[in-house]
Amino acid sequence: MTFLIQQTLIYAVPLMIVALAGVFAERSGIINLALEGIMIFGAFIGVLFVRTMQGSEVFTAAKAAGDWATLQGLEFMAMAVAALMGAIFSLLLSFASINLRADQTIGGTALNLMAPALVLFFIRIIANQNTLQMAEGDAASWFMIKKDMFGYGRSDSMGILGETFINRTYLATYLCILLFIVLAILLYKTRFGLRLRSCGENPQAADSLGINVYKMRYAGTTISGALAGMGGFVYSLTTANCTANGDVAGFGFLALAVMIFGNWKPLNIAGASLIFGLFKCIAASYSSIDINGDGVFLLADLGISAHFYRMLPYLITLIVLAFTSKNSRAPKAEGIPYDKSTR
Amino acid sequence: MKKILALLLASMMVLGLAACGGESTDTTDQNETTTEGTETTETTAVDPDSIPDTMTSEDGKYEVAFVTDVGQLKDKSFNQGTFDGVKLYANANGLSYKYYQPANSSEATDDDRYDAMKAAVDGGAKVVVCAGYLQEAALKRAAAEFPDVPFIFIDGYPLQDDSGNTLTNVAGIAFQEEQAGYLAGYAAVKDGFTKLGFSGGGGGTNDACCRFGYGYVQGANAAAAEKDVTVDMNYSWQYGATFQASTDLQTMISGWYSNGTEIVFACGGSMFQSIVAAASANDGYVIGVDVDQSGESDYVITSAMKGLSDAVQWAVGHVYDGTFDTIGGTATSLGVKDHAVALPTDADSWRFETFTVEEYEALYQQMLDGTLVVDNDFSKLETTEWTNVNLNVI
Repeated sequence: MTFLIQQTLIYAVPLMIVALAGVFAERSGIINLALEGIMIFGAFIGVLFVRTMQGSEVFTAAKAAGDWATLQGLEFMAMAVAALMGAIFSLLLSFASINLRADQTIGGTALNLMAPALVLFFIRIIANQNTLQMAEGDAASWFMIKKDMFGYGRSDSMGILGETFINRTYLATYLCILLFIVLAILLYKTRFGLRLRSCGENPQAADSLGINVYKMRYAGTTISGALAGMGGFVYSLTTANCTANGDVAGFGFLALAVMIFGNWKPLNIAGASLIFGLFKCIAASYSSIDINGDGVFLLADLGISAHFYRMLPYLITLIVLAFTSKNSRAPKAEGIPYDKSTR
Repeated sequence: MKKILALLLASMMVLGLAACGGESTDTTDQNETTTEGTETTETTAVDPDSIPDTMTSEDGKYEVAFVTDVGQLKDKSFNQGTFDGVKLYANANGLSYKYYQPANSSEATDDDRYDAMKAAVDGGAKVVVCAGYLQEAALKRAAAEFPDVPFIFIDGYPLQDDSGNTLTNVAGIAFQEEQAGYLAGYAAVKDGFTKLGFSGGGGGTNDACCRFGYGYVQGANAAAAEKDVTVDMNYSWQYGATFQASTDLQTMISGWYSNGTEIVFACGGSMFQSIVAAASANDGYVIGVDVDQSGESDYVITSAMKGLSDAVQWAVGHVYDGTFDTIGGTATSLGVKDHAVALPTDADSWRFETFTVEEYEALYQQMLDGTLVVDNDFSKLETTEWTNVNLNVI
């Protein structure tokens, strides 16, 4: 059970934060199809940062001395750097779709095609192969929060809550959840959020009230880029052992589906990501899931093909989208370049 | 606004390019210095990692060529171990060397592999080392087309051309992996592990991995019978078809560890990365494969090694001393008798708590003098009734 919850969170959190990235862009009126590309770029930047910083004396010493607070700091810095570079990368999309009024779908697709190529190009130069790994060690031994950090021994128990939510987790998971909440409030409860959303619904009206639509759309897409870049790094840190290979297993596109599935609303998105994360986790580890701890592995004993379990997350997405999409309400002005003269 | 943005974007591009330029000059610098360093010292025992992966020869020709298998060159396992042999031989004899990675990495087609081999021959190769049985079709074509170039087929076997004549320029070199697997399985159970795992690459179609796995089960069974205990084993080929690390594999293995599995045999190149990540997260243990992987992680308790590097040096040596015809066109199977499979016994690599090097050497001796024969017919894995292993094939 503990394993199921932890693993679900690990899958759900990058999805959640990247889906929120999509919300920020679309609520401001820009379709950000480039989420996947920005994630790939962010993952690469984050891993590269970690890899470079591992060589510095401060962190080598911290690792040797077991000073995990410093290492958590490194993780935080890598997230910040990935977010920054993601934001810069997304400026390409903003510039094309806001200033040049290019088709946003095509602009986003272009970035999706460009990111893996660019990233692989750099990775091959740096590492002589297709995967960029940490300079030494693995993600869990450097960054994972474990109970021995709090003075518990190998066989001591932290209690069910501690075991589930503190032992063997990543700081990044909780930072993302925190950020998710803060940004959801920002979007709904502040003046800035209202203005941003108005630019996605009726930019002409917003403009007539003196809101700078271009600025708002830039803000929306840039926040979107930052979140997606960070989500990409968090994905590679928590699920892929802090490696970058120009691929995030389609999580950017899944995040788009989650966003639509969650009806562009943060709370629904959080729920949708959890459902998706759960099925993703079941798909990979169905054979060792023992829900009530009685030694019976129900899902494995059912004798259903492994391929079925692997299809499940996508199947569920399709089914749920089929049922929910008629209620879905996309921001009205998304995808339409804003032109002052049509006011 | 537009101008500022344009400037920003432009500077980003420039920065990117500058960063890339910086990196590449760095690597060449390193290469040059290390090459010079090795030339002056001329020591025989060299750490293969200190030899650069890429070198620049003066005439643009590269004599010893290496064509990689699926997975990465630096997989810290099969490809890397084989390439170490190429580097060590070339370095010791002052030869030029180069590696060729077939296009499309893990989805490489026979054409991609053939192109890599052709590029190697065109690049002046006097011997081409090809790693992995997947190269068979491409190698058949390349060997028939370039009959004067010797090919060394690691994890391979002799090949025939289309009309059934044996290609005498291909030396097939295989290993008795079942012996290495046996040693690892036996040692793990003897050391007190009772819940084992095996995660293999190639989706069950790679003979080498199958032999490793079959030997591992036999070894575990034998040790468990001696201790009169029953051990559990998860045995899986899932998420290993391309020998790549993947998040799914990491999740699956994490699931095993969190359900009590104590040690997993990571039998498949880069898959090691995912398995060791799962082990590290769950404080489990890992058995490495092909080369001594104890340096990669503290969680690696031992490694089922095969002497890739030695075998390559031995075979390339035959090319250069003019005796290639003794191994060309024939199958060479290296095992305990050639000291080509083993567990690492260095103090740093030996991390068992109760199983001792003496016990290991006694077992090794039994294999050597033939009192212990490890079966290599892995098709019997699932039909055999294991007396002391609960085999759970996933």
